Amino acid sequence: MLTASATSALVAFSVTVIVYFALWSATQIAMSPIALLFLGRHRVRHRRHVRALAAHLVSPPLVSVIVPSYNEALTIVGSVRALLALDYTPREVIVVNDGSSDDTLAVLQEAFHLVSAAAAFAQPLKTAAVRGMYRSTSDPALIVLDKENGGSKSDAVNAGFNAAAGTLVLSIDADTLLEPDALSRAVIPFLEDASTVAVGGNIAISNGCSVEKGRITSVALPRSWLARFQIIEYMRAFLLFRLACAAGNGVVLISGAFGLFRREAVIAVGGYDRAAIGEDMDLTMRLQRHFRGRREPIRIAFDPYPLGWTQAPEDWRSLRSQRYRWRRGLLQVLWRHREVLGRPRFGVVGLAVIPYILVFEGLGPLLEITGYCVTAGAALLGLLNWQMLGIVTAVSVLFGAAVTMLSVLMSDVATHRYMGGRDLVLLIAIALLESCGYRQLNAWWGCVGTAQALRGPATWGVIKRRAFEEQ
Amino acid sequence: MAGPWPDADSVARFLLSLSVRLALAMTAAVVIERAVSAVLWARREYIQNRYSPLAHRALSADSEALRRLADIPARHRLSVARPLLESLIDDRDPALIVSTRAVVDALSIIPIADRYLRSWLWWRRAVALRALGVLQLRHYTAAGVAALDDPHPDVRAAALDALTYMQDVASLGALVVRLHDPSLQPARRLASLAAFGSQCEEFLLELSEFDVVHLANYAQALAICGTRRSRPVLARWTQDARPEVRAAAFDAFAHVGVDHEGARLAIAALENGDEAVRAMAASALNGWTASSEAATHLARHLDDAWPVAVRAARSLRSMGDTGMIELHARAARPDLVGRLARQTLSTVGAAC
Repeated sequence: MLTASATSALVAFSVTVIVYFALWSATQIAMSPIALLFLGRHRVRHRRHVRALAAHLVSPPLVSVIVPSYNEALTIVGSVRALLALDYTPREVIVVNDGSSDDTLAVLQEAFHLVSAAAAFAQPLKTAAVRGMYRSTSDPALIVLDKENGGSKSDAVNAGFNAAAGTLVLSIDADTLLEPDALSRAVIPFLEDASTVAVGGNIAISNGCSVEKGRITSVALPRSWLARFQIIEYMRAFLLFRLACAAGNGVVLISGAFGLFRREAVIAVGGYDRAAIGEDMDLTMRLQRHFRGRREPIRIAFDPYPLGWTQAPEDWRSLRSQRYRWRRGLLQVLWRHREVLGRPRFGVVGLAVIPYILVFEGLGPLLEITGYCVTAGAALLGLLNWQMLGIVTAVSVLFGAAVTMLSVLMSDVATHRYMGGRDLVLLIAIALLESCGYRQLNAWWGCVGTAQALRGPATWGVIKRRAFEEQ
Repeated sequence: MAGPWPDADSVARFLLSLSVRLALAMTAAVVIERAVSAVLWARREYIQNRYSPLAHRALSADSEALRRLADIPARHRLSVARPLLESLIDDRDPALIVSTRAVVDALSIIPIADRYLRSWLWWRRAVALRALGVLQLRHYTAAGVAALDDPHPDVRAAALDALTYMQDVASLGALVVRLHDPSLQPARRLASLAAFGSQCEEFLLELSEFDVVHLANYAQALAICGTRRSRPVLARWTQDARPEVRAAAFDAFAHVGVDHEGARLAIAALENGDEAVRAMAASALNGWTASSEAATHLARHLDDAWPVAVRAARSLRSMGDTGMIELHARAARPDLVGRLARQTLSTVGAAC
């Protein structure tokens, strides 16, 4: 009797998993041509002509680059130097020292000859108190805001938004390295379409690359397998799902590592939410809701060419901490914006993107871990069809690898990175090996993150950073 | 299993076979794409190494080089011409344009571009338009104007780029008429007018007489290419019932420069109920030194809404001694007005 019930339950669960997997596969297959077409169109557009547009304007928009900085003494000088060398003008760089306990402010003062200046700006966004403002005597485009620690990156970025004089504001992480033409490319969608409120850029992983004076000089795969797995994760996330979303004007995440915003739009929605864990996705969703809710035109664009490079964690502890946070952030955003789900008023965001995220990113890890538990239980009870298990595992690994290779193909089309023969072999190996432990670990972290989210607020956790020159 | 449903075993085997094929196909696609890219890159390098010295000699009006370029294989010509054309995007030196035109002519690229203009592939039409534009081949102006109505948005953008590069006054009327055309990208529309400078002004002023609906757009355009000739019209628009027109008119005044009448209107508009109008009125007084009255009025708005206050401070900074006196008078205040005054004073050196 018990065995019969267990068998029925096992069959029901298997059918659920198969239907879920089939649905996931169908969405991946459906997204691929959309993303490829979008990428193709981007590629054939003549980028030099497009970028020359800003130069033809009598007064191109001023861009304020905000660099929130909390204990970033190791990397901040290199990052700021690279930002000051961006090929777009007019621009200003605002470093927000968010009450760092290390030497961030001191190294900035020494490197850029800062002098105290009057901090005169309106504060439409509430932040922790600003202690002072500094201007660089060596580069007039650099401003440093020194403020009390606000407990979150959001608070620092909001302070930067307050101080920004630009109509467009670029928000990046302190450890983000930008391509020299990143800004001039990212500005283009704002010039081409007046309804553009934000532009996100493709973010690549800088681990393994050579960095000189805040610039990526040569690109290579990192030695750490942990970083290698994250490279293909980023490729999939940015060059498949996000491209498909961008093609349908349904971008719901502008990464905190690189996001160019229309300042007045961000002010209108109240800036970054200090209580949000996934503050970047939360802001993007609020922008979508604000404009779509009022039936005003909105476009959130995405540039598939890498505009910024960021460090991926190379130790398990930092990665785990990051994934817990991402998971809590995702669930928080889905809960906060639950009223968007299925509402035609919010267009493709409500009808396709958020349902996809809920079903495949929200429930995916839970279903996967449940699957492993059920499989183990079935094996203990002697109910497992080992041949079938082998086939299902192989299908899962191979289909995952196919999707990964598709994103590698798109990465090749977009950027020609990791083009050596050895790189190709490594990428194929990564695509296959990812499903042998790394994916399961991520699913487990997803479940733990879910439990943490249900328990309530938690801290950000610490990610170990290295100076770029060490790489 | 009986019935229409296949048994689980055959479904599993089908899925396994499908996933193997998919994984192999994707890997093959990556390998093929990389191989094709490598071949194309090597070919481009080969052509560049072989012909670019010749092309550069031809650019220096070497007739022998021009003759030899005319003899290179047709399959290499586009690759030789492409970097030459691209260099014209950033370098608009008239002599370079003329010499590049001669080289491109020797390579017989123009007939190819002409054919591309009629291609059903939108990117070919776009490439052809921009190539003809950077070369300033003005007998193609009509084609550029016609392409403003192309069904593809990227081709329309390319047409605007081409007309911007060509700077042919024959296209000016078409560009001004399309100032409000929502099917054209707004920044490109303005960039195309900016390329003509004050030549647009007359068209803009004439059209605005009959098209009062779009006065804000005309004012925006005059902010780019207007001269003192526009002042009377702008002064009239500052009295328009629509606040966006008033604000745009004062913004245009900020670029054109106010006269006594404009300054009087701007000072009066500083008390307007609309924040954007006050802000632009403050901007309009930028550089006005003919009377000290303006500085006094502007100084009162240093504690207005922030956009107004900032513009008032900037205008005060531009007014020389009269503005400085007002700023110094407030610099000691501990509030935001004082900080704004101090900040503005600290940037005087940088502004100079």
